[in-house]
Amino acid sequence: MAVRHRVCAACRQPDRCEQHHRGQRTPPVRHSKRAAMLPLPTVSGKLLRDAAIYLAATLVLGAAANVAPGRHLAWWGKGFEPPQVGSDFVFIDAGSADALRASLPRVVFLDTRAAADVAASRVPGALAIAYTDLARQLRRPLLERLRAADAVIIYGGSDEVDVEQLLAQELRRRGLAPPHVLVGGFAAWLAGGLPVESAR
Amino acid sequence: MIWLRNRWLHRALGLVLGAIFLYAAWSKLLDPRPLATIIWGYRLLPAGPINLVAIFMPWLELLVGLGLCTGFRRRGAALWASVLLSGFIVALFINAVRGVNVACGCFSTSADDVHDAWLLVVRDVPMLLAALVMLLAPPRSDDPRRV
Repeated sequence: MAVRHRVCAACRQPDRCEQHHRGQRTPPVRHSKRAAMLPLPTVSGKLLRDAAIYLAATLVLGAAANVAPGRHLAWWGKGFEPPQVGSDFVFIDAGSADALRASLPRVVFLDTRAAADVAASRVPGALAIAYTDLARQLRRPLLERLRAADAVIIYGGSDEVDVEQLLAQELRRRGLAPPHVLVGGFAAWLAGGLPVESAR
Repeated sequence: MIWLRNRWLHRALGLVLGAIFLYAAWSKLLDPRPLATIIWGYRLLPAGPINLVAIFMPWLELLVGLGLCTGFRRRGAALWASVLLSGFIVALFINAVRGVNVACGCFSTSADDVHDAWLLVVRDVPMLLAALVMLLAPPRSDDPRRV
């Protein structure tokens, strides 16, 4: 029968072990099956302190980063509104987009797909733009070109157009007219047999 | 099961899980606004706290990743990793049950990054187990009950 003792300093078993405590007054015991299992450590003050340190550092860094210009998000709720069709962007199908491209002199296509995909095949003249890198890419020359365009058409790879809508919303916030979002993305453009170009 | 207390096992788990957290934090740190969209897409939180989560969670992921990799207060980092991963799993599980394949926002803030929600749940479970090992079975020198 196992006798309960403190943890053996040598082998870390919850019961004192025969090997390291031979000859002591405490009667040596064999490691019981229970002792060989992992005892759950109690929640210690040190663990809570460590966790609190991480939380405090997170609050300080997050708050400091959020007051940095260009990446500020309202602290509570209202800063974010999902993009709205009509006010933030307008849907356009592939055929209409191609007609727009043919009839107007300054139509700019923005391609949100991965850079490799854009290089492989894209709408003629399309510019690659990564939504996660807008701070670097949306500089004055590009913004002026977009403002001067007759139409801005944003497309991604497929039916999913969330990123395109968000990009349109961001461009609206920067003073552009509501851009067009291509329904079905580049897949629809290809399916329509419309012209493409390759940078390779 | 005593092998779970092996120091080298904890270092290896910390490095792997920490690297995953660092990678996950990177794109979210650059701009929290797309992350707010991702969190909104989960349809779990009311509008108010969504921004708070988007502002602070990437920094917690960064610090937890650094803590796990370096071993700095590793159990504290493992506690937060467990909390985060449990939250992710619950959120993904609810959307999997709903039949919604959300853009998880795990390693990118692209709303196009949509995966099968059940696969995402399965992917997160081993990471949670690793975090729990570091939290509940600390190596010998970290055991608070050491004599």
